[in-house]
Amino acid sequence: MVFESIDQLEDALRRADYLPDRGLSTALYLALALSKPVLLEGEAGVGKTEAAKALASVLGARLIRLQCYEGLDVAHAVYEWNYPRQLLHIRAAQEGTLREEDLFGPEYLIRRPLLEAIDSEEPVVLLIDEIDRADEEFEAFLLEVLSDFQITIPELGTIAARRRPAVILTSNRTRELHDALKRRALFHWIGHPSIEREIAIVRLRVPGVPERLSAEAAAFVRELRGLDLAKPPGVAETIDWAMALNALGRKEIDAEVVQQTLGSVLKYREDVDAVQDETLSRLVEAARAAAAG
Amino acid sequence: MATGDAILGHVVTFGRVLHEAGLEIGPGRVADSLRALDAVDLARQEDVYFALRQTLVSRQDELDLFDRAFGAWFLRAPVLPPVRSRSGAEVETRVGQAPTDRLRRREEEGEKEDETGDPLELGASAQELLRDKDFSELTGDELRRLRELIARISRTRPQRHSRRRTADAHGDVLDVRRMIRRSLRAGGDPLDRPLRTRKEVPRKLVVLCDVSGSMDSYARALLLFLHAVVGTGRGVEAFAFGTRLSRLTSDLATRDPDAALARCTEAVVDWGSGTRIGASLREFNETWGRRALSRGAIVLIVSDGWEREDPELVGREMAKLARAAYAIVWVNPLKGNPQYQPLAGGMRAALPYVDRFLPGHNLRSLEELAAVLAGIERRHAA
Repeated sequence: MVFESIDQLEDALRRADYLPDRGLSTALYLALALSKPVLLEGEAGVGKTEAAKALASVLGARLIRLQCYEGLDVAHAVYEWNYPRQLLHIRAAQEGTLREEDLFGPEYLIRRPLLEAIDSEEPVVLLIDEIDRADEEFEAFLLEVLSDFQITIPELGTIAARRRPAVILTSNRTRELHDALKRRALFHWIGHPSIEREIAIVRLRVPGVPERLSAEAAAFVRELRGLDLAKPPGVAETIDWAMALNALGRKEIDAEVVQQTLGSVLKYREDVDAVQDETLSRLVEAARAAAAG
Repeated sequence: MATGDAILGHVVTFGRVLHEAGLEIGPGRVADSLRALDAVDLARQEDVYFALRQTLVSRQDELDLFDRAFGAWFLRAPVLPPVRSRSGAEVETRVGQAPTDRLRRREEEGEKEDETGDPLELGASAQELLRDKDFSELTGDELRRLRELIARISRTRPQRHSRRRTADAHGDVLDVRRMIRRSLRAGGDPLDRPLRTRKEVPRKLVVLCDVSGSMDSYARALLLFLHAVVGTGRGVEAFAFGTRLSRLTSDLATRDPDAALARCTEAVVDWGSGTRIGASLREFNETWGRRALSRGAIVLIVSDGWEREDPELVGREMAKLARAAYAIVWVNPLKGNPQYQPLAGGMRAALPYVDRFLPGHNLRSLEELAAVLAGIERRHAA
């Protein structure tokens, strides 16, 4: 699927139940048009990973995800040899002679996300999630892969991409990424959505949620974000919470139900403790007033 | 094409404006932005804005600068041109006089007195004396000698195991890939068992140094220590605080200690002011802790614990910090006095969350600190 304008891509994303703001649609559109990776940064829960899933779905592409963590190395990101299989083969060939090439053929290769993405026959969206968690050595290696879109396996030779995958990198900014990597990518910062968009997202993602409830939930979460919390809730939390409220059959919020369900919005005990009694009633009142007005 | 040239001219000049405002704009970025503009509808201002922003900016903290420049350049909005963060005026209105200036004078005076002596050769007994002398009583000459000793003791950094493994004859895990390869030579029998072990890497170290009035006489010696620690390599972050927090990592990264200290003096806006430990810790937790700077790190706090405001806030923020950090070490120069008791409100509130509580008033205590940092174990529960 080829998109000819930002509007076209935006419409397609909407149909795939993802509501991007104009900035994100522009970033994704440019990533495709310029075939450059796009780096998405923002607080946890603003929909960075969801954006990649939605893009894969509208492109009819396969989503390949590489979750980064400290110590991530080539064996887990690119490929590894299937040792048990190699050993079995050695045993079986005990009588005859065995050449090294027989052991290091494609059938003994375990393909990890990066190799999968490069070597895929079908179109691919490659999501490199939380790149800031991987260490700097891996970042340097990734830079190489993203500039050439080829991978060299000493025993097999170089495998080049048949078609370049669309690449989305996400970062929670636990550390600053290397400049060289940033230069290679488009950069988009995703902030918390506007209240109207957040309501629209909730209504889209929580089927059957009453309009009033979605407006009050979004307004309440917005109030929470104004407090001094260890982890301010993202859109993901608003959706979870609206689902919980809807499942309880609520049409609107009050102090009691907020108290009972606060755990799906706030994930730290100290945050839950900070939003009690008067604070809680005050926020509920403010949210109800905002949703009514 | 005429319009194309006009756009090119606009973008190149705009790139220069951003560059002057402190953004890193190379020719590659400008070329990308032109390609991006080519792909979007130029009549839609929002799309032009994002196309330029996404190709020219790569850090969230530069967005503000970009927005102002964009407003001024493309929208002709009446906004002030963006300026670099630190203006001369700000430096001049700094509260109080920087202790480094005062101490530098002390150092200069010392030099005059001591011109005949050999500054590098220090007898064993003199060195011993220097090691035990309180930082607040040092002469200028002693401060200079101290620098070398400090550089020597700060080299030991706490280590942690990385998840990455490297080949090691005494390792604990079989290197299967290598074993199979070698076994081929023996017809498939694994005669050789190559091993791998986890690599050791330095643990993150975050230093928060109190530069308020009450810490004045210790500030220079401790900054020298900070400078030496930052020089040990990656993963060290240094902050100074009085009434507010300033990040010093990049200022301390200069190799020459004098230049580094001069840059710190400029960066810290509240030398010799009062202390708001709780508020400073909160600022740290909010802006840096949230970015996981303190996660798994050794946090070293250097302060006398005199909180001018709310000791309860100190306790609350220390609790947050303790949850993220691997261990917290508190260095209090006052603890050098045998009669000292942690009675100051801020200190009392912080102590339950402190893993190691050490003095830091002389060189010997810094040596002790270096030893503690090198071998620290986590004491508090996760």
